[in-house]
Amino acid sequence: MFKKTIKAIFSAILATPIALMALADDQVTITVWSMDGHDLGNEDTHRQVIAAFEAAHPNIKIDLTLLPESGLEDRMNTAIGAGGKLPDVFPLISGEWAPIALDLSSYIEADPDLSQDMYAEPFWRTRATFGEKVVALPTGIGANVVLYNKDVFDKAGVEYPTADWTTEDFIKKAVAITDKANGVWGGDRPRDAYRAIWHNYDAQVYSDDSTTVEGYHNSPQSLAAYQWYWDLVHSDATPTKAEIDVLGTEGTGPVDLFIAGRLGMATLNQSHMLRALKEGINFGMVPEPAGPSKDRHANAWSATPAIAGNSEHPQEAYEFLSFWAGMEGQYISMTTGLNMFPSIPALWKDHPYIDHPAIQTFKTTLDWPLVRDFDGTHLCWRAALRRVDEVYELIGLKAIERNEIKKALDKEVVVLQTALDDCVSRLGS
Amino acid sequence: MQFMGRKSKRERTQAIEGYVALSPWMFGFLFFYAIPILASLYLSFTQWTLVGSAKWIGFENYIRMFTRDPVFIDAATATGFFVLYSLPFKLILGLMLALLLNMKLPGMNYFRTIFFLPAVISGVAVSLMWIWFLQPDTGVVNTLLRYVGISGPGWFWDINWALPSVAMMSIWKVGGAAIIYLAGLQNIPAHLYEAAAIDGASKWQQFWRITLPLLTPVLLFQLIIEMIDAFKIFTEAFVITQGGPLNRTYFFLYYFYEEAFRNFNMGYASALAIFLLIVIMSATALVKWWSNRWVYYEN
Repeated sequence: MFKKTIKAIFSAILATPIALMALADDQVTITVWSMDGHDLGNEDTHRQVIAAFEAAHPNIKIDLTLLPESGLEDRMNTAIGAGGKLPDVFPLISGEWAPIALDLSSYIEADPDLSQDMYAEPFWRTRATFGEKVVALPTGIGANVVLYNKDVFDKAGVEYPTADWTTEDFIKKAVAITDKANGVWGGDRPRDAYRAIWHNYDAQVYSDDSTTVEGYHNSPQSLAAYQWYWDLVHSDATPTKAEIDVLGTEGTGPVDLFIAGRLGMATLNQSHMLRALKEGINFGMVPEPAGPSKDRHANAWSATPAIAGNSEHPQEAYEFLSFWAGMEGQYISMTTGLNMFPSIPALWKDHPYIDHPAIQTFKTTLDWPLVRDFDGTHLCWRAALRRVDEVYELIGLKAIERNEIKKALDKEVVVLQTALDDCVSRLGS
Repeated sequence: MQFMGRKSKRERTQAIEGYVALSPWMFGFLFFYAIPILASLYLSFTQWTLVGSAKWIGFENYIRMFTRDPVFIDAATATGFFVLYSLPFKLILGLMLALLLNMKLPGMNYFRTIFFLPAVISGVAVSLMWIWFLQPDTGVVNTLLRYVGISGPGWFWDINWALPSVAMMSIWKVGGAAIIYLAGLQNIPAHLYEAAAIDGASKWQQFWRITLPLLTPVLLFQLIIEMIDAFKIFTEAFVITQGGPLNRTYFFLYYFYEEAFRNFNMGYASALAIFLLIVIMSATALVKWWSNRWVYYEN
């Protein structure tokens, strides 16, 4: 009897690690780097998505690392450059990373629960594809919209802006509601050239084929956009850069100034809009103002997680990615934390704030041509413009006269062309 | 006859022990300095976008740097002027502060701690604090100036004031230099001052004839360290100005950070890094050569 007991104990001791090893063999860990923010959700949302996924996939464990956006960018770049190990899943926030992302086409084809048709077309078009490859799946979406504080407008006796307003209306209303004695500015100013308003003037920094700057950066359309910006700055109805830098917050917009009632109109994003809603601000929302172009443009985007091409577990990584960016994952992200806006239109009806008029305005802008239609396919525009963006700065500093803008743009063309050629030889057109 | 180089067992053991003791530093130097510098040197002759392999392009990056890149001129100018603005002030004010802190007065340890604090606070925190200090409309400095009827400048947001503002921030951290001067001052033998006083030397003569000559090795050390530090300025541009306005604070290190990690231009960024390395090494060599004329070593 004693011998049998000893034998049974030894067998159990031997069997346990073998069983555990067998279990460990079946268990796969997928590393995920992500960002805590507007479009991918906060930490709680990430954890809830992961918990739901792990419950449905007991053989896959998710190892999540949350980083700030700039930290994620630097860490990814360093890992890519040093040839180090990349995470299995990561947000594709830089177009430069697209070549190292796994082509998801065959995985999507074999997946009965996921297809391109599920997603809003603009985000699939501008964020998920790279050449012929599908390199990411869209999750949360966002866009810039103009929030206006109704109390500020009412106090000044000025009519609210409407969706069909123009860039000239923006300046007129900003001037009318500015109340310097009480520290209230009318509206904010664009944070870069060639954003939505420039596109609404049909201004483009260089040609579609990335070969020519002459006739684009210094075109009549571009000049008109810069002149509008000059008029806005000289209206004194907008905070200076110093004021925005110090009093504006979150790096993406002066949301605190707006919520404090010190900025009548502010170009913010969907997450700021929800914050204003939750804080009970009396506000309305309109798209960015129209220019002379026949098209209105939206500066809209989507967070797009991808899988590293050298992932050791591509199938398991896809299981997680398709869950995160699929119906179930986006539903969780939409109903928790920052209430992300899904890139799957079928889910919108269940959004907790769907009935608010502001959300309807937000939805309207998503069908417009996107700023990213140009930006996302021209990797060089920012690098090239960085070399010459003096006119924009000079206007912001009130250091250039209105009639000098054309000459200054002409002067920048040569330098910009050289910078563009240098960049295109490296990153392609 | 024993051949040159042939060592006894004991000497060999000692040599091995020496190398073992040195090895952590040697490995550190090799892996964290020598190999990255050599890799940067190689990459500076290539075009490399991080993704894919580097393509050899010879001297193209250097040719571009000197012939077709206006931002290179901006970055070199901003960095050069920053060194010129901040270095003399840090050296002179540091010395003056050390002389004050060396006085035997009550509470001096307290003041030493206070003045040293800025040198140990995180650069990002200091930058954010200075943004609030120097904001033109609501900042502390301009608000105080308005009380006395002065309209303050735009500081970081003014074309003419941005660079001096960053230099001023850097000078504010002079306490670190002062502590090193202080250590030098306290090493000067007291009997030299006593003898000079007996001979009737004034305080100024004592400073000029005793303190300054005996402090020159520390001055040289500070000059080299502060100069290298000034060439490497980055945090202020990254956090406060992003190189603006009009590239007035587009310092060299910030420039190659943007080229490498924002524009994915690793080859060109490496060329910029190598150029800065050569500038710093040349400036250091020049200072060392010049120091033969004015540094006094007691032994």
